[in-house]
Amino acid sequence: MLKKYGSMIVAAALVAFMIASCKPKKKDDGPVDTGKSPYQSKNDEGTISGVIKFDGTPPDRKRIDMGADANCASAGGEKLTEEVLVTDGKLANVFVYLTGGPVDQFSFQPPSDPVVLDQKGCRYDPHVLGVMIKQTLRILNSDQTAHNVHPTPKNNPEWNESQPPGTAPKEKTFNRAETLIPVKCNQHPWMKANVGVLAHPCFSVSAQDGTYTIKNVPPGNYTLVTWHETMGEQKTQITVGASEKKTQDFTYKSSVAYAPTSLRVEAALILP
Amino acid sequence: MLKSESSIENFPTRGLHRFALAVASLTLVLLVVGGLVTSNEAGDSVPDWPLSFGRWLISSDYFVANIRYEYSHRFIAGMVGFSTFILAVWAWRSDSRAWMRKLGWLAFAAVVAQALLGGARVLTGEAGKPFIAVPHALLAQSFFGTIVAIAVFTSRSWWEQSRVKFSAVDARTARLTVYSVGAVLVQLVLGAGFRHRAFGIIPHIIGAVIVAAVLLWTAMTVVARHKGERSLRRPAITAIALLIVQLCLGVGAYLARLAAAGDAQPLEPMISLTVAHLTVGALLLADLIVLMLRCYGSLAPERAEKTFAAPRAEGVVV
Repeated sequence: MLKKYGSMIVAAALVAFMIASCKPKKKDDGPVDTGKSPYQSKNDEGTISGVIKFDGTPPDRKRIDMGADANCASAGGEKLTEEVLVTDGKLANVFVYLTGGPVDQFSFQPPSDPVVLDQKGCRYDPHVLGVMIKQTLRILNSDQTAHNVHPTPKNNPEWNESQPPGTAPKEKTFNRAETLIPVKCNQHPWMKANVGVLAHPCFSVSAQDGTYTIKNVPPGNYTLVTWHETMGEQKTQITVGASEKKTQDFTYKSSVAYAPTSLRVEAALILP
Repeated sequence: MLKSESSIENFPTRGLHRFALAVASLTLVLLVVGGLVTSNEAGDSVPDWPLSFGRWLISSDYFVANIRYEYSHRFIAGMVGFSTFILAVWAWRSDSRAWMRKLGWLAFAAVVAQALLGGARVLTGEAGKPFIAVPHALLAQSFFGTIVAIAVFTSRSWWEQSRVKFSAVDARTARLTVYSVGAVLVQLVLGAGFRHRAFGIIPHIIGAVIVAAVLLWTAMTVVARHKGERSLRRPAITAIALLIVQLCLGVGAYLARLAAAGDAQPLEPMISLTVAHLTVGALLLADLIVLMLRCYGSLAPERAEKTFAAPRAEGVVV
């Protein structure tokens, strides 16, 4: 009987291991043929710009303890979280993008220039960024310590690769739109970034002063969406005329800013 | 009560018993480091398996931050696996009891399976991790329990039971100890499920109430019925003490986890409280296994022969 149990335990573990290590080809491994016709510019694209404001007292930024890695501890820069980054009532790191209208009706060629994500001072720089489908995401390691880069997407394949100091940049692409993909370094668990992947170039990320600009917007009716990693999304309908410059501000309230902590507590109490 | 205080000085599995104790101690260290891996979110810090960054031994440059926990876990796991192999061979060659010889190989099979599950945990995507991590945690505790059982079966007190008459433990009390061991194992799974975010805290809290009730009932029954039997009374009282410590640690660990919500990374005291909670859980399981095996070993002889392995009883299945 003991022999039988032993065989069963090993067999079960072997099956689990084989399933885990086989990595079946996911349906999202290849590029998606959307069947959309390519967008033809008439040089009448508009621009959407605005400011992401923050109403109220922002939550305190949390301390990051980098003591586990001397290279990180000795790195410069403030060692505070970047989730809710408010300067003079303006909110940074908000991903702003369009859905609907011409950006969903046509296909867009990705830029040949890569988008750079740097690991610098044991932080991801930038904290929030956007790329187009098939556009190269170039990942650098400017630190004197190894990192591992681990995006955990839902629609794209997951990968986890080590990047020692002094090694060549990693170049990756995503084949499916996804807003947004969390990226983490499991060696330094405070290192987190978010990558928005879209099928069109009409997106932006709010800067330190809360400003954003979306250029080259084809004329049409859209939903303008803002995404913040802890405060969620806001949406508004917007119409952009030919060569029009539109302004659209958004405001996040402090009551929402405090929600993530309490939400996480509630999540821990949810029954299976 | 012991009718004779004489003891066997040179019982036949003396060396094997000491080695089993060493393997059990090393396994406890492995459990602690495994807890540190989970609590520090270090499970994916070494992306490859079975090698680590393409090597068996990594350089000190790599041994920083979360890699310290994950690599130490792998290294100690290798030591435990090798030690268990030696234990199985030793038992196979030296123990006269057929079921004990098989138990050694069962332990080795468990540690091999555990290594495969650990590898699967590393190679699995984020979504599937709870489905690997929770069985990994369950098998870890079960393996630890198996090694503790081997230590009991090879101990002097186990051999003494064959020639010294205890006051017979009734079958009901013995059964209670089985329920306690089962309840603690289920509770360990519920705790692992919460830590690995397979589900929320409520099942673990309900489990804690049930385990506390079953365990107190068991321990108090043993103490009440076998006041003079030190080998039974001691693990029963230890179980109550560990239960109190465990409940305090559990509340503390959960409150620390709530307070840490929104932190940039896992920080103290959440890490230490969680790992201590896991460790005391393992010690509680080990203590109850000792109590259970001693109870069954002390069953009235006719009952013991039917239900459980007595020393030198070849071919009896545990």
